[in-house]
Amino acid sequence: MHLNQDKKPTLIWFQGLTCNGNTHSFLNLSNLEQLLNKFEILLHPSLTSTQSFHAITKCKISCDIFIFEGTYDPLMKRNGILVSKIIEYYALCAKHILAVGSCASFGGMFKASAPQRNSGLIFNENEKKGPLLKHQHKLINLSGCPVHPEWLEYILNMIAIKKEIKLDELHRPIELYSNLAHHGCIRNEYFEWKIDANNFGEKEGCLYYKQGCRAPMTHSSCNKILWNEVSSKTRVGTPCFGCTEPDFPRQNLFSTKTNMSIPEDVPLGIPKRSYLTITGIVKTFHIKRLEGKLIDYKTTD
Amino acid sequence: MITKQLIDQIEGEASIYFDMKDDVVDFATISFPHFRGMETILKEKNALDALVITPRICGVCGHSHLMATVRAIEDAYNNAGFPIKLNQKIDSIREFTLIMEIIQNHFKWIYLTIMPELNKLSKIQKIQTPLKGAFAASIASKAIALFAGQWPHSSYMIPGGITTDPTNIEILKADSYIDELITFFEKESIGISIEKFLSFKSSKDFKILDSDISYLEHSLMNLKMNKKGFSYDRFLVIGKHIFTKPSLLKQTRHYKINQKFVNTVISYSPNEISYARNAQYKESFYETGPLARTISSNFPIIKNMHRYFKDSAYTRIMARVFELANLLKQAKDILKTIDISQTSFNKVLDISKISASGVGVVEAPRGPLLHKITIEKGIIKEYNVVTPTQFNIGSSKKSNLTPAQKAMRGLSKKEALFVFRTFDVCSVCTTH
Amino acid sequence: MARITKEKRKTTIISAALKLFSQKGFYITTIPDIAEKVGMSVGNFYNYFSSKDVLAKELVIFISEYLGKNIRKINESDLSTEEKISEIVSMYFDIAKNKPEMIEYFLRVYLSNREVFRDGCEGMICVFPFVTEMMMFFNDGVECGDLQDQDFFSAFGLFMGYLGGMVFLFGEKILPQPLQEYEESISLNIYNALKSR
Repeated sequence: MHLNQDKKPTLIWFQGLTCNGNTHSFLNLSNLEQLLNKFEILLHPSLTSTQSFHAITKCKISCDIFIFEGTYDPLMKRNGILVSKIIEYYALCAKHILAVGSCASFGGMFKASAPQRNSGLIFNENEKKGPLLKHQHKLINLSGCPVHPEWLEYILNMIAIKKEIKLDELHRPIELYSNLAHHGCIRNEYFEWKIDANNFGEKEGCLYYKQGCRAPMTHSSCNKILWNEVSSKTRVGTPCFGCTEPDFPRQNLFSTKTNMSIPEDVPLGIPKRSYLTITGIVKTFHIKRLEGKLIDYKTTD
Repeated sequence: MITKQLIDQIEGEASIYFDMKDDVVDFATISFPHFRGMETILKEKNALDALVITPRICGVCGHSHLMATVRAIEDAYNNAGFPIKLNQKIDSIREFTLIMEIIQNHFKWIYLTIMPELNKLSKIQKIQTPLKGAFAASIASKAIALFAGQWPHSSYMIPGGITTDPTNIEILKADSYIDELITFFEKESIGISIEKFLSFKSSKDFKILDSDISYLEHSLMNLKMNKKGFSYDRFLVIGKHIFTKPSLLKQTRHYKINQKFVNTVISYSPNEISYARNAQYKESFYETGPLARTISSNFPIIKNMHRYFKDSAYTRIMARVFELANLLKQAKDILKTIDISQTSFNKVLDISKISASGVGVVEAPRGPLLHKITIEKGIIKEYNVVTPTQFNIGSSKKSNLTPAQKAMRGLSKKEALFVFRTFDVCSVCTTH
Repeated sequence: MARITKEKRKTTIISAALKLFSQKGFYITTIPDIAEKVGMSVGNFYNYFSSKDVLAKELVIFISEYLGKNIRKINESDLSTEEKISEIVSMYFDIAKNKPEMIEYFLRVYLSNREVFRDGCEGMICVFPFVTEMMMFFNDGVECGDLQDQDFFSAFGLFMGYLGGMVFLFGEKILPQPLQEYEESISLNIYNALKSR
C-alpha cells in the first residue's frame, strides 16, 4: 500500500449559524491526531489550518471534503460574503460534502432563528429541500446535536480508504443510524417489563412512558458507541431527546405525550395495536425484583 | 483611517475596527455579526425545554448555561412559594461537572488559542502542540460524562436535582481522570508538581521551569505584556460556588454585589451591525473571568502579580493558568464530599403550577453568566441571558470604553489583537 | 359429508358451554354435560380442553377476541367518533340480545368468580384483545381532537361500566323497554361525557 504517494485529501470545516457544539464534540476524539494526519486541513475553526479564513471565503482553491456545521441561512454572510455563494462553490468542487450536526442536516435548533428561510443543506426538517440539493449524491448527513465524534471519525476514515458509504433515506450512514438510541440502554429490562420511572434521579425505571424518552423512536448509536467513550444520556437517567431526527427540537421534551394514557408515539415500526397488547399483558405481572431498588444504600431500616 | 480586522479562531466570528494614530490604537470598536435569537426561541416554550435549548447557546460553555437555567427555574419555584430542597450530593455533582467544563475550556484556550497567537507575536519560537489542549479537554469531558451522560450538550440538571444516581464506580473513575489530568498538566504543561506550582509566590519562581507554561510566561515578559493590556482594574464575581467569592472589586478591595444591578446597553458599532449588547454593573464596565475570580479569592501568586503588574495582559493570562491548576485540585476535593446514599432528586411541584420569575447566576469559564426567566403556568414568557463576554468585550463610545477596548488602547495592531484574545472571546455567547 | 375441522369443533364446544353455563350455572354444569350436548365422548373432549378451568379461561379469551374483532372493524371504518360510539353500543347490545350467553358469561362468571381466573387470567391478560381495541378507539378519538384527553381508565370505566350495567339490568328483566330502545340516549350520554371541551 503506497499511502505516502497518494496526496492527503484536503478538508475544509466551514460554519453557518452554529453554537460550535460539533467542533467541540470533535475535539474530544481520543485519537484525533492520528485521524487528522490523514488529511490536509485547509480550514478549521480551532485547529491549525494551512489557509486563512479570509482566503477560504474568497473561493479560489478547491477541496476534497467540505464539512459544513450549523444551520443554513440564505441571508447569512461571513467575512461579508454570502454563505450561500461560499457553499455553492465548495459543493461543486468537493468530492464529499458532510453536513455535520442536526442543524446542517435538517435545520435543527437554529432553524427557529428564522423559520421561514433557515434549513439544512438538503433537508428542511423532513422535506427534501435545501441549497445543495443538486449535490445530494455526494452529501452525507451526520445528524446529532452535537454529532458524535466517532461518527465523524468513521466517515472520514471511510473516505480516506475510498470505501462506499451506504446511506438511509435521510442521507445518514446506515452503519451508524440503523441502530436506535434504545439499543444498549441499561434500563432495557424496565422497558421490557413496563416498569416506569416514577421520578428522575433513580437508577430504576424506564424513561419512555412518563419522562419523554425518544430512544425507541430515534436512529442513533448513542448506547452502542458511548459518548466520551464512557456514557450516554439514558445511562445517566436523562431521557433521549431524539436529536438525530429531523423534528429535533420537539416541545415538552421531558414528558411523554399521551392520548388517554396511551403514548402518542410507540417504538419505531411497532404497530400501536401490537404495542398496546403486549404492554397490557406485561403490566399485569408484578415482578418483585424489578419493583425494588437495584442497589439499596440504606444501612438501617 | 479605520481598518477592519476579521477575527477567526474564536467561538464564531467578530471584527475589530481599528482607528490608529501614530501606529498605535487610538480607538477600537468590535462587532459581532451573527445572531440566533435564543431569547425569542425560548418564549412560549415549556420552562423545562429551556434545559435542552440553552446549552445550545454555546458549544464550549453549554454546561454553564444548563446550570444557569436550572438555577433560574429553581429560583422561580422559590419565588412562587415552593422552595426547592437540594442537598450536598446534588450541589457537589453539579459543581463538579461545572468545574470540569471550566478546566476543559482553559486547556483549550491555552493550547489552541493563546500559545499559537503568542508564538506568532514572539521572537522566541516554540513548536506548537495545540492537540495537547484537545487531549486534556477530552479527559475532562469524560469526567463530566460519567455524571452528565455526555459533553457537550448535556441536560442532566433538572429542577429538584439531577437525573443521575451514581455509584462509587463513577466517583472513583472521575477521580482517576482528574489524576490523569494532573499528571498530564505536571508533565506536559507546567514541568513541576502541581503543589509546588500552586505555592509559587511570584513571577520569579518561573525561572527554574522549562515547560509550555514557562515558555508562555517568559514570552509574555519578553513582549512586555506585563506592561500592556491594562483595563479598569475593577472586577466582578457574581456566581456563588465552592471556588468563588462573589464580590465587586476595585483593584483588590471587596464590595458587596447583587445581580439585580447588572444592566445591558446597546453596543456602539458604527462600522457594522453588531448584535451584542454591552453588560454593565450599575452602568459601569467591569472585567470578569479568571482574573476577577482569583483576585477575589485572594490567590497568593495572582495577588502578587497584580501588585506589580496590575491587570495587564500578563496577569490576565497567568490568572487563567493558575485557576486551571487550582480547579484541578478542587475537583478532587469535591468528589470526596459526594455521599451516594443521599437522593439525587427531590420531587417538585409540576412546572405547570408555577407562575413566577427567577434568576440563575453561574460563573462560566469567562465570568458570570446570568439567566432571567419569567414563567406563567409553566410556560416561558420572558427569557433573558447576559454572558461574560458581554461584560468584557463590549463595544462602546470613546468616552466610556469597555474593558477590552480600554486594554487595546495605545498598542500596536498586532499587540492589540493579542490582548483582545486574552479576554477569551466567545462570540456565540455574546450575541445568543 | 364434509370433515369438520378441529377449530370448528372447538367453536362448537365453546358455544355449547356458554349456553349451558347460562342455563344451568357455571358450577353446576359439568364436562360430561357439555360433551353430551356437543355429541362427543368425555375423553375426546379432553383433547380440546384439558380441564374445566382451562375451558373457563379460553372462554374469556374467545369472548374478548370476538368483541375485539367487532370493535376493530368499527375502529377502522370511516365513521366519526360519535358514530363509532353508536356502533360500539349497538354491537354490544346486539350480542346481549342475540348471544346473551356471551355477555352473561363475562359479567356473571368472569367478573364474579375471580378465584377461577386468578391463575392464568391475571389482571387483563385474557381480556386484552377487547381492551386493546378500546384503547385504539380512545387513542384515535383523542388524536383527532374529538375526545377529551384524560386517564384511560376513567374513560374506559365510564364506557364499559355503563354498558355492562345496562346489560345486567336487561338480564334481570328490569328494563321496561327492549335494549335497542336505549341505544340512542346511551350513545349520546357517552359521547357528551367524553367529547373534547
